[in-house]
Amino acid sequence: MLASWAPHRAAVPGAALRQGLRYLLFAAGACVLAIAGPSCKPVEKDLVIDDLVYGIDTIPVYASAAEKTRLKSESQFLGTAYANLYLQPIGSSTLNELALVRLANGDKGLIGELVLENFLNDPTAQATMPSNADMRADLDAFVESTYLRFFQRLPGAYEQVAVRRLIEADPDMDPIDVYRAFINSNEYLYY
Amino acid sequence: MNRRHFIRRSGTAALGLVAAPYILPSGRLFAATGARRVNHVVYVLFAGGIRNQESVGQQYLVNQGAGPAGNIMPSMLSGSAPSGALLYDPWTPLGPPLASRGTLFPAMRYAQGPTGHYNGHTVAMTGHYTATGLNLNINPEYPTVFEYYRKHTDPARSAMNSWWISTELGPYPSLNYSRHPEYGPQYGANYAMPGYALGETAQEFLGGLQVLHPEEATRLQTLKGTLDGFFDKGPGDIPGVNNSRADREAIQDLYLRLLNGDEVLEPPLPVGVPPWNVNADGVNVALAWKILQRFQPELMVINTTAADVCHDDFSGYIRQIHKADFAMGWLWDKIQSDPVLADDTVMICLPEHGRNLAPNALTDDNGLLAYDHTEDQNSREIFGLIVGPPGVVRQNAVVGSEASPVGESIDIVPTIAELLGFLPDIPTGFLPGRVLTEAFA
Repeated sequence: MLASWAPHRAAVPGAALRQGLRYLLFAAGACVLAIAGPSCKPVEKDLVIDDLVYGIDTIPVYASAAEKTRLKSESQFLGTAYANLYLQPIGSSTLNELALVRLANGDKGLIGELVLENFLNDPTAQATMPSNADMRADLDAFVESTYLRFFQRLPGAYEQVAVRRLIEADPDMDPIDVYRAFINSNEYLYY
Repeated sequence: MNRRHFIRRSGTAALGLVAAPYILPSGRLFAATGARRVNHVVYVLFAGGIRNQESVGQQYLVNQGAGPAGNIMPSMLSGSAPSGALLYDPWTPLGPPLASRGTLFPAMRYAQGPTGHYNGHTVAMTGHYTATGLNLNINPEYPTVFEYYRKHTDPARSAMNSWWISTELGPYPSLNYSRHPEYGPQYGANYAMPGYALGETAQEFLGGLQVLHPEEATRLQTLKGTLDGFFDKGPGDIPGVNNSRADREAIQDLYLRLLNGDEVLEPPLPVGVPPWNVNADGVNVALAWKILQRFQPELMVINTTAADVCHDDFSGYIRQIHKADFAMGWLWDKIQSDPVLADDTVMICLPEHGRNLAPNALTDDNGLLAYDHTEDQNSREIFGLIVGPPGVVRQNAVVGSEASPVGESIDIVPTIAELLGFLPDIPTGFLPGRVLTEAFA
């Protein structure tokens, strides 16, 4: 079941994208359900993982960033960031404690950067990231999968080119640098 | 048009351009002419709900029928300590009482509205009394002192110049800016609650981190900038305070140094007193000093709240007031040790409200009766203390008495605005209180 702040639907092309998305979207969906809770509208559609894996149906994604109009709460922000990076839901007690740490600071970006940095530096989360070589072997696929992983939508044509060129221009840029930018972006604050 | 005509006309136009007023971000045509009296104000909500009987009244245990009168706040007030029956370990002040270095208003009033802690904080920080139905879950209706300061100071000041530091979470984080349509988060203050910002969870998750390497930071900014460029919401749409990149990194650096043990918070304790004596009030004051020392902000508001144990523990209430009193003297002593802040800072102390005249039915381990705060007249009676350099603040002065009260809670915001020179720029009608000019030299 998807909560109301889960995305709309659009077709996902490309077999390369499917690998790994099974767990990504399951984790994100579970996180959405766990965090959004009773404040969200009920059910839009059951998420059928096999449909996603075999590309025989559609998966829930936003059609565009413009559909994201609501700010994530402290718990939603941290919970989705954890799920997107670790590919598993965050424990409720950890989530609550971290939400209080974030609440204890006026500049949410300031403390959010530090919490996210902790996630990014955790070997468990890093194990879910592709290597630099794998990233550069198929940059278009990497950019698309990163958009899906963090923004739950496909990149626009200009976005695709812009991000790809930035990666190409900097041989030392690793997937962790890209992931860091996505989870620190303004769009990531919204659903 | 001949050449002479052209030169005359273009010269006149150029002169007009030079002379034409331009509109400042504050909405004024020219910068304010009102001079600042000082460049730094520290506003302490000496809070938790304190009765005048135990503070400026110096009645100690008289009202309990259990002991002598006496001054339990020797760091702030003049007066002899109780002659006996001490409920606290007396901490020797670090210098003369603060009252001798400023002006005491012993009979101020919290004149209207519920005498709740959040109501009291809101009144003290917005300069407006609150209605009965105050919503605890959203930012206040009227602008906070931080927003007035940042919007109406020219040139505009960053959030780094204004801080709100509280002992508790609950509704208090929302007091760093209002929901007023003409003000709001873009003029808000930095906020910190040290118990969580630097507490166990923060140490577990953030300890060991370092600020990003410059190359990583550059990559982050480049990529983030690109991603943000494709999203239609910018920093102005995102609720909360946003520091500049440099300010954010400076604050992160301080937090990480504290979490990693590279720097420590100095506890506001007398020499030789073990660190376990520090309570949440002390940690709050310690972080306040660290931030004052590091960033020298122009406006800081902090609170102490431990005295609220008075609901069921009068003895604890006495002990917490004594500790908070020492912390005020300690903080003032530290401020005077800083080359930037010394002789250029005014500190204002004000309880958010008082407590009832009549006790409730609860007694503590010493058999002493406890007090609530339920809007009787006694819970509206508070004091104010304004301390500052001799050329700015009247020294060793007392203004008002129980027979002739002077000053209200709502007067502190305009007083701060006058001290920092932005009062003339605040639109007429925004602040119902008055400047406590009696405190000025």
